[in-house]
Amino acid sequence: MTGGGLAPATDHPADRRGEPAAVLEMTGIRKSFGGVHALRGIDFSVRPGEIHALLGENGAGKSTLMNIMCGALSDYHGQMRLEGRLVRFSSPHAAQKAGVATVFQELDLVPGLPVADNLSLGREPKRHLLFLDGQRMRRSAEGALALVGASISTRTTVSALRLGEQQIVAIAKALAAEARILILDEPTAALSAHEVELLFDLMRGLRRRGVGIVFISHRLDEVGKVADRVTVMRDGRVVAVVPGSTTPQELVPLLTGRLAEDMFPARGTVRDRVCLRMTDFGYRLRRPSASWREPTGVSLTVREGEIVGLVGLLGSGRTELLQAICGAAPPGRSLGKLEINGRPVRLRSIISGQQQGIGFVPDDRRRDGLVPTRNVAQNLALASLGRLSTAGFVRRGRQGEAVRWAFDAFGIKASTTTAPILSLSGGNQQKVLIGRALLRRPRVLLLDEPTRGVDVAAKADIYHLVRSLAADGLAVLVASSELPELAGWCDRLVVLRDGRIVDDVAPDTDPTRVLAAASGATHHDTAPEDRP
Amino acid sequence: MTPETTPSAPATAVDSRPIAEPVPAAAARSRRRLPVLDVLVRFQSLLGLVLVLVGGLVFSPRRDGTILFLTVDNLANIVRAVSETGIIAVGMTFVIIAGGIDLSVGAVLGLAGVTAATLMVNHGWGSVAAIVAVLVAGLLFGLIQGAVSTVMRIQAFVVTLAGLQVANGLARMVSGDKFININYGHGAGLAPPSFALLGDRLFGNVIPVSAVVFVLVGAVASVVLNGTRFGQHVFAVGGNERAARLSGINVRRVKIITFGLCGLAAALSGVLDAGQLSFANPNSGTGYELAAIASVVIGGTSLFGGEGTVVGTIAGALLLGTLNNILQLNNVNADLQLIVTGLIIVAAAVLQNVAARRRAT
Repeated sequence: MTGGGLAPATDHPADRRGEPAAVLEMTGIRKSFGGVHALRGIDFSVRPGEIHALLGENGAGKSTLMNIMCGALSDYHGQMRLEGRLVRFSSPHAAQKAGVATVFQELDLVPGLPVADNLSLGREPKRHLLFLDGQRMRRSAEGALALVGASISTRTTVSALRLGEQQIVAIAKALAAEARILILDEPTAALSAHEVELLFDLMRGLRRRGVGIVFISHRLDEVGKVADRVTVMRDGRVVAVVPGSTTPQELVPLLTGRLAEDMFPARGTVRDRVCLRMTDFGYRLRRPSASWREPTGVSLTVREGEIVGLVGLLGSGRTELLQAICGAAPPGRSLGKLEINGRPVRLRSIISGQQQGIGFVPDDRRRDGLVPTRNVAQNLALASLGRLSTAGFVRRGRQGEAVRWAFDAFGIKASTTTAPILSLSGGNQQKVLIGRALLRRPRVLLLDEPTRGVDVAAKADIYHLVRSLAADGLAVLVASSELPELAGWCDRLVVLRDGRIVDDVAPDTDPTRVLAAASGATHHDTAPEDRP
Repeated sequence: MTPETTPSAPATAVDSRPIAEPVPAAAARSRRRLPVLDVLVRFQSLLGLVLVLVGGLVFSPRRDGTILFLTVDNLANIVRAVSETGIIAVGMTFVIIAGGIDLSVGAVLGLAGVTAATLMVNHGWGSVAAIVAVLVAGLLFGLIQGAVSTVMRIQAFVVTLAGLQVANGLARMVSGDKFININYGHGAGLAPPSFALLGDRLFGNVIPVSAVVFVLVGAVASVVLNGTRFGQHVFAVGGNERAARLSGINVRRVKIITFGLCGLAAALSGVLDAGQLSFANPNSGTGYELAAIASVVIGGTSLFGGEGTVVGTIAGALLLGTLNNILQLNNVNADLQLIVTGLIIVAAAVLQNVAARRRAT
């Protein structure tokens, strides 16, 4: 039952012809949502025994393309062929049966169940039609795990596994059907460096067995380590298909493309007055957590009119630093000194942070920002209801004024101010959340990944909007995982690693140097170790 | 792979990722397709109420040419019966919109009734003093439940289930597990006659006092929910608690207050109950929590929190009360009444679900 489709590469007809034929071939794929063109004619192919990296910034169309490949979207134009046969998957289940396995970022494992049960979920072997056959279940699970070369006990509960191990179990589960194609959606995003290496070994093993792997990633250095070919997408188009040996330096311009000067506003004048000053600032959690990087010994100033960018890899503590500054961190205590407009402050909660003039826009819009059941105006006014009320009663007139101001100032595009918030595009949702923070008239604005999931036009809007706010005297601290964005937008870049500031540079500093600082001088050389 | 797990996986994966562009556009398209359904969902309880009222007219037994359903006495009966669960349901609306649930209300109603009766009959309290004391106690009971739930992070379901037991036990203790008869007059063992007003009808013996109280409670609650900062906070807390907290809303306080309001409503209902019946029964409110939750659900309030209306809840309560009345008038037996009620709750929930799914796509 497990892995019957993992034939040795030599069996594949492609090898007999010398030139490997694509096992999956997509031609002229187009897809639009409403008026938004997500994909504008994509050609994409995966050969057997190939690791094909799919790169693109947020909003480039990677996810849409992946969703078509894996059967989550069936309503598209264009053709998809699997081993030469024209296919159109009606569901992920259908795709899986046809041999396209997908491991999503959100692993589809049941945390409370043992590994074996997870691997046979929904097709559990039974005895006497009723009782689970635990032995058979474990045996087949062992087979599936052996296939991915993992030594994980099938009796362990999934929640007790490390994330990297869970990932491997999820891959084993996906491969349990006859998989010719394996799609991995940002599999390394939450893994430690060691776990990433294990995952890459697994991918190389599968490559030797002839599985075609689509590897979606954000990390350019990883791509060079493991991929044979790289497809770069931008704005719904394929802009380049290059060999895996392409360096990150060569990839960056391909990825960002339009992220040129016109994308960013001109830099303003930074005034002398310091709005935010941290001296040896840190934060200790009451209950330390491996997933929350504590800021340590951070000394940093942000002046009026200045936009400072926080650069750092995942897990460097960017988000955590912003949370600690605004009072949104988990329970704990802050260390060192934090001054706002020259006054030392101790923040115990978001509310006290707001009162001191700090505005915060969190990175995860859906989880931490939007109230999906409330309309645009209600979402905008949410943090400023105190100012908009008299004796507890919300003054409609005042609220309407505030909402109209935000619409005008930010160019929010919505059918009406009372439209459902989820009917807005990602960019406009983001503008609403920035507007919510600004309606409180903060002195310091903290932005966490403000352009994630935002289309290129709205990105430019947000850059210009924040720049004009800075020109009016706002101090801005912005964290982002997109270095080119920070380099183009900010007045200064501060590099974080392990919760500490390791560099403080001008925005036009050589990106390689900045990235080296962020990843800790031992810069990955991109020499491929086991490329055939 | 299982059909159950596979399709859900990409859905979560897509949702969690902020590719917001495509998703809402598709939603907007589907929203335009079926406006009828939207109207139906939006006003489900009011439309249902109209339907039931028309049904009442059509199916009402007649005597000497008068439609029994429409007689003043019958309508007053409906409103009187509805007002008790209705007032509770209004309080429950706040709790549910904020994302909670309160199962203790029926028991609190019983406790409030016997406490008021005991204070007046055995301790010689005046009616106003007794009523105020009981209302304050109900408010406190709710606040405590809210505090236990939010501070100690225990699900409201569990806390208020425990609260139900506690309130019921207290009610039996206070009453000695017996009905307390309320006889009016002056002197030991008698309740002040003013308390009897609660069972009266006003405006030429037409409108029950409880109905007037019900309408007032509904009006105030509606204004609080829609017009005040607190009301907006209730919606935000239920709609997205994390976002509410990050917006500087004191989430804990908002939740605790909703439980307080619900306890207050239950106590008020208990006082009315005792006043209308002229006796207090410690088990008087048994099952009222379910009737109240049913009214809220039929009224279009989402059990997931974040949305709902007081008007819908009131219509939901009236719908259930009217329906029961019609079935009674036609001598349909009580078992069938329960079944019909159950089916209506399911129908309302299905409509809700349709609405929620359309928003989510």
